[in-house]
Amino acid sequence: MIGYTISRLLQAIPILLIVSLIAFGIIHLIPGDAATVIGGPSATPADLARIRENLGLDQPLHIQILTFYANLFQGDLGRSLLLGIPVTEAVLARSPITIGIAIYSLVLTIVFGLATGIIAALNHNRWIDQAATVFALIGVSLPNFWLALVMIVLFSVHLGWLPTGGYVPFTQNPIGWFRTATMPAVALALLQAGLLTRITRSTMLEVLSQDYIRTARAKGISEWRVVGRHALANVMMPVVTVLGLILSVLLSGSIVIETIFGIPGIGALLGNAIASRDYPMIQGGLFFITAALLLLNIVVDVLYTSLDPRIRVTGGK
Amino acid sequence: MLLPTGKLPLSLAAFTACALLCGTSALAQDAFNCPATGGDLIVGMEASMSSLDQHTNTSSATRNVAMNIFETLVIRDEEMNPVADLADTISVSDDGLTYTFTLREGVSFHNGKPLTSADVLASFDRYRDVGINRASLDVVEGWEAPDDMTFVITLVRVQPTFLESLSSYTVPIVIMPAEEAAKPAGQIDPIGTGPFEFVEFVPDSHVRLARYDGYVPNETLPELSGFAGRKQACVDTVTFRMLTEPGARMAALETGEIHIAENVPTVSQERLANTEGVELLRLQNFALNIGYPNWSAPPTDNRLVRQAMLAALDMEEIMEAATDGAYELNASFQFPGQGYYSTAGEEFYNQADPDRARELLAEAGYNNEPIVLLTNQQFPSMYNSALVMAAQLQAAGMNAELRVLDWPTALATSEQETQGWNFFYTFWATVTAQGGPTSLRNLADPNNVYKPVDNVGDPDFNAAFDAIEAGETIEERREAFARAQEIAFEEVMAIPFGIMSNAQGIRTEVEGFVPFYNTRVSNVWFAQ
Repeated sequence: MIGYTISRLLQAIPILLIVSLIAFGIIHLIPGDAATVIGGPSATPADLARIRENLGLDQPLHIQILTFYANLFQGDLGRSLLLGIPVTEAVLARSPITIGIAIYSLVLTIVFGLATGIIAALNHNRWIDQAATVFALIGVSLPNFWLALVMIVLFSVHLGWLPTGGYVPFTQNPIGWFRTATMPAVALALLQAGLLTRITRSTMLEVLSQDYIRTARAKGISEWRVVGRHALANVMMPVVTVLGLILSVLLSGSIVIETIFGIPGIGALLGNAIASRDYPMIQGGLFFITAALLLLNIVVDVLYTSLDPRIRVTGGK
Repeated sequence: MLLPTGKLPLSLAAFTACALLCGTSALAQDAFNCPATGGDLIVGMEASMSSLDQHTNTSSATRNVAMNIFETLVIRDEEMNPVADLADTISVSDDGLTYTFTLREGVSFHNGKPLTSADVLASFDRYRDVGINRASLDVVEGWEAPDDMTFVITLVRVQPTFLESLSSYTVPIVIMPAEEAAKPAGQIDPIGTGPFEFVEFVPDSHVRLARYDGYVPNETLPELSGFAGRKQACVDTVTFRMLTEPGARMAALETGEIHIAENVPTVSQERLANTEGVELLRLQNFALNIGYPNWSAPPTDNRLVRQAMLAALDMEEIMEAATDGAYELNASFQFPGQGYYSTAGEEFYNQADPDRARELLAEAGYNNEPIVLLTNQQFPSMYNSALVMAAQLQAAGMNAELRVLDWPTALATSEQETQGWNFFYTFWATVTAQGGPTSLRNLADPNNVYKPVDNVGDPDFNAAFDAIEAGETIEERREAFARAQEIAFEEVMAIPFGIMSNAQGIRTEVEGFVPFYNTRVSNVWFAQ
């Protein structure tokens, strides 16, 4: 297991380097740079040239990418062109905010998605099943930005239960954190919960029709035990696979949601960096997200082997 | 020649005959004092702000915050007249080449250090090295600080509009401590001399300012006017929250989480106007909705094709779509009431004449070549203008098509590419507000946003533009402005569609807030 994990971590390094190279190429292919954004429509060619010189954008592309990699190997992701602070500092400051809301959202997704999927499967073809299917369909159909705005109108303007936006760190005020993080987390979770409901329901239906479940029931084991001990364990395999994907979608979905709710997380950071062509921040942000997703995939793969000992992987023990 | 404090004389300020008289009568009024103090004023910003380094930033969001922290030697008042700010007196040598500024006594930075001419010199040095939009310094030969309270600027040639240019606030030459001015672009600590001092900045979240107790107000004008005059921090703190999603920003105003909301969308105005505790304030002449053709790409390299495009346009339809009805038609590159306002060339504006357009196209030998309208969806006014204009051009027999990119890409394409687009959409707010020379600078060499071949612009226009800056009297300058504007219309260097207004929402407990081109939080207090 340890060998396998180390091997996967080593494999991730070239992937990270290749992804950052592709990201560098793509963002430089798009017309416009930070100088254009900073200078605005009234900037003269001389203004733009000076801004590029100030920002180091007048360097040839190959020098810029080599500088990026040279700094990267020293743990330095560069300095944001617009914020004027080290990218690493910005990413480290923002990531706990996004990760916190993503985990909150993931918990909501798992609780609602798994529960609804299991209940629907256990009540196959009854009204509860149909209601769960409709819930799942609504969940996967609603755009999260629309849902976010509707929630603001309902829960903030009309009911006055939650603030319209902003962010309070958990360490500063846990209740304040829940108040500011709940609507963003729900907006992100609903789509994923719908997806998870559908997968859990179909997997559970398939598992419940297996011979070993029939055998367990024939032995007189209680239904709770049949579902909780025998069926659920086998439902978890596809669910764990999907959870990896869900977390990655939650991270990418944070760009829109954080902008709407005025939350200073990685999503807002990256969204603004893209809009303002802040190359080091885009590269640093993508590098961080890529690393996080690779790590997540490795965790999921390792979990497979824990959940199902039949799975043997190269390098595994 | 020693110039008085207050609004600068007409020979330099170059505005209406009322300007000096208005200033004099204003001086006789009681000076502003906060009727009440205290509280945290929360402003909902429409755009994110990335930096408070005002020398290196053109964004309105930065000015909205930074201009409450920093001050300049000379700044604009409400009517855009140049007014002494950190300068106490300004004198001009008889040959018009040397401007001597003496500084106001007793002014200190937020770090407690007294303001001296060494700080002014260092700030000007920094602006010269890293500043953006430095057109005001083009005519400057050099500067020096002969003593602690004197700063001298020498020009290479006489420019009667120099103080007008120096007080431009597109990228204002704000004064910071010399040690901050020594820092690279984007890395200063925002320390100024203004009524509010910096507390904290959390990017994409908020900026917090607090009253600077050591602030020495400028007594030039008895109350806040533009960025000038007697400013006072009535509230204890100001929090600028970045709420870029309009729906969320309006909701925050309705719930009272913020006290001032920048830019209320037209669709929300009726609802907010009927919301208890909320009041809408309007800045009527906020921005010109404008676009410009590409003179380097066919078929808009042909003057007759450009004139055909202009002839086909119905500005009412375009402005209605662009603003949902919040507009005024305006055949000028200036707002009505401004010193340089002229309607020269108005016969070319709002012709709505497709038959005339067809005649011009036939004369031009137009052969259905595509006319690419370069726009974006981030700014609905630009996108909707392009949609309606495309339909109008098509109705007049032109093969108009949209090219929709995101704003930075569209802007960069218009700046860097001479092919692949024929017309670009934007809006000019501060550019237009700041008067004649500033409003047409984007059409003169070397700016040339309309992309003339080899970046050499129309010689007649350039000559007229030079005359705006060099004219000795206001009459000469106004005449030159009218001439330049007429050429801009006739040659179709840019097309001003009309004026867009801007609405801001405030909670009714907020007193003293007046909408301006940038958000000002001085002289604003809470009703008790």
